[in-house]
Amino acid sequence: MEEEWIPKITLFCCNWCSYAGSDDAGVGRKQQPPTTRTIRVMCSGRTDPAFVLAALLEGSDAVLFTGCHIGDCHYISGNYKAKKKFEMLKEVVDELGLEDERLQLQWISASEGSEFAAYINKVTEEIEAIGPSPLRQEWMK
Amino acid sequence: MKIGDCVVAWSKDEELRKMGASGGLVTSLLVGALETELVDEVIALRKISEFEGVPIRTSDTDEAIRSAGSLHAAPINLTKFAVRFFEEHPDGAIALPVKPCDCRGIIEQAKRRKIDMDRIYLIGLNCGGTMDPITTMEMLEKMYEMDPKKIVEEEILKGKLIFKTEEEEKAISIDEVEEAGYGRRESCRYCGINIPMMADLACGNWGAGEDETFVEILTEKGLRLMKSAVDHGLIETAPAPEKGIKIREKTNSVMENVAKTWYEKVFVPIEDRSERMKYYMDAMEDCIDCEACKYVCPVCSCDESKCIGFYDPMDSHKISIYHLIRLLHLADSCIGCGQCTDVCPAEIPLTILHKRVADRIQAKYDYIPGIDMKTPPFFEVE
Ligand SMILES: Cc1cc2nc3c(=O)[nH]c(=O)nc-3n(C[C@H](O)[C@H](O)[C@H](O)COP(=O)(O)OP(=O)(O)OC[C@H]3O[C@@H](n4cnc5c(N)ncnc54)[C@H](O)[C@@H]3O)c2cc1C
Ligand code: SF4
Ligand code: SF4
Ligand code: SF4
Ligand code: FES
Repeated sequence: MEEEWIPKITLFCCNWCSYAGSDDAGVGRKQQPPTTRTIRVMCSGRTDPAFVLAALLEGSDAVLFTGCHIGDCHYISGNYKAKKKFEMLKEVVDELGLEDERLQLQWISASEGSEFAAYINKVTEEIEAIGPSPLRQEWMK
Repeated sequence: MKIGDCVVAWSKDEELRKMGASGGLVTSLLVGALETELVDEVIALRKISEFEGVPIRTSDTDEAIRSAGSLHAAPINLTKFAVRFFEEHPDGAIALPVKPCDCRGIIEQAKRRKIDMDRIYLIGLNCGGTMDPITTMEMLEKMYEMDPKKIVEEEILKGKLIFKTEEEEKAISIDEVEEAGYGRRESCRYCGINIPMMADLACGNWGAGEDETFVEILTEKGLRLMKSAVDHGLIETAPAPEKGIKIREKTNSVMENVAKTWYEKVFVPIEDRSERMKYYMDAMEDCIDCEACKYVCPVCSCDESKCIGFYDPMDSHKISIYHLIRLLHLADSCIGCGQCTDVCPAEIPLTILHKRVADRIQAKYDYIPGIDMKTPPFFEVE
């Protein structure tokens, strides 16, 4: 039987804010689709662009950079670095022909559980609308 | 002589003056730098034939003298040879002739702390382009009906490409040979930087008379090189004639326009997303993972390269991560030198692929790599 495709979204969360935000969403029992694969990094600045490219090539339909709001990074400037990496990657990925929705950046604080859940819902809908990534292999489930 | 001056200069050694491309000045400066101990070593291109030159690093002045002359069909980039020098001699000093692309590679490496700008003397050469040796030999057989092995001299004069054997001389216009797919390498056709204003000196034959080199003195280091060669009795100089300065300016602006036209011809935008993706996938499909493109790239500066570290041939991804990492890493620093395309055994047009990505990012951040010491956008964090 053909398995039905549901989006696979790789989510990079920083330990101090967005990971805690996702935790807050769970504790608060906010409804979220089972589309994310979360990778916890100590700081959004640790989200190496190579991780993002690997995630896309390994079958992610979208990759999300998340971290503390600007000014709140626990290592002071990590999220500025994340932002620069994201901006550079964005140009590359766009030039390669990937849709805008497949690479996103969102700042989420530890207390923003509802915002976190709403964001995951929104991204999932966006990816459902555009379908599987052209970079994933046909045999990838 | 002072910074900002334009002079014509030549070697006082009559033999060297004849051997040199346009007056033997560059070679005399290399010799002078060694003799006055301004530098420990020089880099030059040892001529094997009209179609082959081997970069050498030497402290022997005779060796430097034997390397006089321009090799237009030896499309080498000297950046990594300078990097090796500083790896071996962190406190040493070196001088070398640099085309604009050599110079740009060196400046980008200096920003990544691989080269010490205070200890490297950059003798800039104007450059109208280099040619691929293999296609040039083919062109000689097909268009010139000459035996490449018999060529003793090659010259570019008034838009014509001239080849000489002991017996004969033939000239065909550059436009005509390029129309037929020969002539300068593609990357040189659209390269818009012909006078290396970021070097210490800019030397060339534009605007110079017979057996003279036109020199613009650009920095303190450049002035030091010139002065020490004069003091050492190696070169003769005279103020550049007004007419020469005009000719040089005019020729340069003509070349810049030719480059612009080529650029538009080569870089036709691909508007449709899925077509773009197919374009990149198809282009990289034949890669055999030899890593030569990374090895030659004058602006790659890793000791332990991430592009290789993340790559495994067993991955069978739709595009290799090696290339994706490289496209990103070189996005702010690619100088479009053409080295990667030259070495690729699978004939992948890598320079075009890299530049398609890099030009977007360089335009976005208003950054031109290799022309000044401005911080690369990757390192520029708010
Ligand atoms: C590929 C190329 C294209 C050029 N195009 C122009 C032009 O369009 N307009 C202009 O005004 N001048 C141009 N020049 C510069 C000109 O040919 C002379 O090099 C310059 O005038 C200095 O002459 P010289 O007699 O003082 O140099 P020389 O004393 O002959 O010394 C030349 C030095 O350049 C080195 N060299 C030779 N070939 C190369 C190479 N491919 N890459 C790096 N180093 C090399 C030699 O090893 C030597 O050290 C070009 C030079 C090259 C190499
Ligand atoms: S592409 Fe990047 S990782 Fe690879 S050698 Fe160049 S700079 Fe280093
Ligand atoms: S990527 Fe290719 S064209 Fe760009 S700097 Fe490196 S070798 Fe030159
Ligand atoms: S030189 Fe060509 S074949 Fe070799 S790794 Fe680069 S793209 Fe692949
Ligand atoms: S610790 Fe959260 S972004 Fe740096």
